[in-house]
Amino acid sequence: LRNVRIFYKKLRSMKFVSHLDMNRFMSRLISKSGIPIWYTEGFNQHIYMNFAVPLSLGFEGLYEIMDIRLIDENYSLEDCLNALKSACPPDIEFFGITEGEMHMKTIGFAEFEITFEEFGTDTVSALKEFLTRDSIICQKTGKKGKVKEIDLIPKIKSFDIEDDLLKIVLVAGSEDNLNPSLVMSEFFAQCGIEPIYYTVRRTMIYNKEMQQFK
Amino acid sequence: MDNKKFEKLLLSVQKPGRYSAGETGSVIKDKEKVDVRFAFCFPDTYEIGMSHLGMKILYSQFNSREDIWCERVFAPWTDFEQVMRENEIPLFGLESRDPIKDFDFIGFTIQYEMAYTNILNMLDLAGVPVKSKDRKDLSPLVVAGGPCVCNPEPLADFIDIFFIGEGEEVDLEVIDLYKEYKAKNATKEEFLLAASKIEGVYVPSLYEDKYDDGGVLKELVPMDGVAPTIKKRIIKNLDTCYYPENFVVPFIEIVHDRAVQEIFRGCIRGCRFCQAGFIYRPVREKSVETVNRQAKCLCENTGYDEISLSSLSTSDYTGIEPLLNEMLEWSDKRHVSLSLPSLRIDNFSDELLEKIKHVRKSGLTFAPEAGTQRLRDVINKNVTEEEILDTCLTAFRGGYTSVKLYFMLGLPTETDEDLKGIADLGQKIVNLFYNMPDKPKGKSVSVSISVSTFVPKPFTPFQFEPQISLEEIRRRQEYLKSCITTKKISLSYHDSATSFLEGAFARGDRRMGKVIEAAYKKGCKFDSWTECFQPEKWHEAFKECGLSPEFYANRLREYDEVNPWDHLDYAVSKEFLIRENKQAHCNLTTPNCREKCANCGAMCYGEGVCFEKR
Repeated sequence: LRNVRIFYKKLRSMKFVSHLDMNRFMSRLISKSGIPIWYTEGFNQHIYMNFAVPLSLGFEGLYEIMDIRLIDENYSLEDCLNALKSACPPDIEFFGITEGEMHMKTIGFAEFEITFEEFGTDTVSALKEFLTRDSIICQKTGKKGKVKEIDLIPKIKSFDIEDDLLKIVLVAGSEDNLNPSLVMSEFFAQCGIEPIYYTVRRTMIYNKEMQQFK
Repeated sequence: MDNKKFEKLLLSVQKPGRYSAGETGSVIKDKEKVDVRFAFCFPDTYEIGMSHLGMKILYSQFNSREDIWCERVFAPWTDFEQVMRENEIPLFGLESRDPIKDFDFIGFTIQYEMAYTNILNMLDLAGVPVKSKDRKDLSPLVVAGGPCVCNPEPLADFIDIFFIGEGEEVDLEVIDLYKEYKAKNATKEEFLLAASKIEGVYVPSLYEDKYDDGGVLKELVPMDGVAPTIKKRIIKNLDTCYYPENFVVPFIEIVHDRAVQEIFRGCIRGCRFCQAGFIYRPVREKSVETVNRQAKCLCENTGYDEISLSSLSTSDYTGIEPLLNEMLEWSDKRHVSLSLPSLRIDNFSDELLEKIKHVRKSGLTFAPEAGTQRLRDVINKNVTEEEILDTCLTAFRGGYTSVKLYFMLGLPTETDEDLKGIADLGQKIVNLFYNMPDKPKGKSVSVSISVSTFVPKPFTPFQFEPQISLEEIRRRQEYLKSCITTKKISLSYHDSATSFLEGAFARGDRRMGKVIEAAYKKGCKFDSWTECFQPEKWHEAFKECGLSPEFYANRLREYDEVNPWDHLDYAVSKEFLIRENKQAHCNLTTPNCREKCANCGAMCYGEGVCFEKR
């Protein structure tokens, strides 16, 4: 077996495809591509796929990652990438393939670009003020419906505002994760600003040492 | 439409994947380079419409022609409809997002009666007048096909052209004629008259309906030079007929999320309640070689890991065993599982079971349709209780522990004894399981009984029969419920008000159009969805139009009464239907097409089961 890591972009109409639907979509795409893919063994056999940090519905992703396994160890990575590209609709772009240098567990941060519609100077300064506070306490409802209080500031690694664009790096991964929607909704709520429509793209994934995840 | 704005709106609704398109296999063309734009509309949600095989076939076939761009359109769910109306977004083709009011054709496939209001709502959302006579220009032409079109009269006010029978040939003939007439700047009237000369084309505006004093249809009078009857079109050779090599594969989960391979059309059985069993005659099979090749190709192109063989009765396919052997050759290797819906109880063999087991084990579903032998004979469902029990035993031995059974309530001549028979049969199946000497330890059996309400349909031997009243439906449902005493049997049944309305539409005449329009104006839509169905509004609509649903649903029709669909020739003759109706009332069955020809009339096409060597 050969472990393979695929890098792709999830663009335009694909942003309306949820994580669960992505699973089904990728498994069909792989099956169509004809690459020598490994199926899990057991009662319900399926194509083995492991996605790095799921992307929320409505977000575009420029650095998406999926691990698969090939049964043919001599099958070249280049052939694999080309086969996937040929089976792919226009709104998914495969752009890289490796054998997976880093472990999925080492993922630590993700960078997002948030583009605002009608971004006034007042809002910009309010946002700057908000993100540089000592703490941003908010309520978060867990999976089991438990409400707990968390502070967002330690989870915000860095940010930068240019024109109508907010670049922000947030903790990401299986242990701790912050969704930019939560940052935005808290911003609007805590600063008393009428919510402004924005679009989100995840542009990069980093490991815990802030190195590009490979 | 502005992309950004569109995406913003999409994020405000449930399941944006219904409207965002961009799926693998969807067809994008340059609109400047095509002559004809066709909006293929399915009057229900994306998930239901995308599961429909007919739409997949015609979508691919139309798009295989360079001069046509066919796009998909579904009924937007109520949340997105509200967004569309508030933002003045007219109904659009999913592929181009262009308004369909600017298309050449707006075509509907009509699979069930309860979708009628959605057709009107979609036309209105498109910004197109709902009534045919209010659309003066040549385009958009509103056309319709599908099984419901065998009684098109309730929709006659809204649709310009009905396609009678199978669409693969006639649709393209009409499109070609349209191109010719568009080029010479012809009027809509000129085009419709010319189109009506094509076999299988029904232009309702060329006929006038006349009634007697009792409100019963007397005559449907064609205009000068227009044919009094329209004969349905069929595809004579399915091996050479177009079949898609690829499907649009949705991102979101749809109802039937798998590849579908058609194996034959029509049904040899002639169950007397079943419209499909008559309107698709004669039976025509695809060869094993064709089915195997097309199925493999579909799986390779779509990437689906499941393929379903589609027909009205899969086990009646003459080549079923060699076909499964050939398909298993490649399906196993590709991790593709086969599913075989519509199996019959009487020819469900051990070998067949073994093959299905090979791939996936799900529940087993059978349709005895009626609880007693007498009533099964009346409806010509030629299965015996012994066969049903044998099949269940085979299934239990094969490791199945749950069985689903379909029945109908309100069949002609049905008595309480027949209803009790349903419960008794369920009990016998439960007992069968527990009496098995080698029954699996610690396992329980579950028998689900699903009971729908019988609706008399045109072109069946029961087209003359009254449907039982709404009150009687409810009484019988209660009675049946009281007959079931074990928890191993679960019972579910259809909503009675829906069945009653369906009964009125199915055999409605042209005046019904007013009722549909009135109900739609009152806000009726998605009538097949319980959360949207508003029976009281329908009741008001009928009252305002001076018509009664009982007149259409609950009245016995004499053999010599003119039916609203009598001018359509679906190859089964009225004499045959009358003969079959009389047989039914004598509790007599009719052999299937392969055993003995019943002389229904379908032989006229010179093809199919009527000419098989036996």
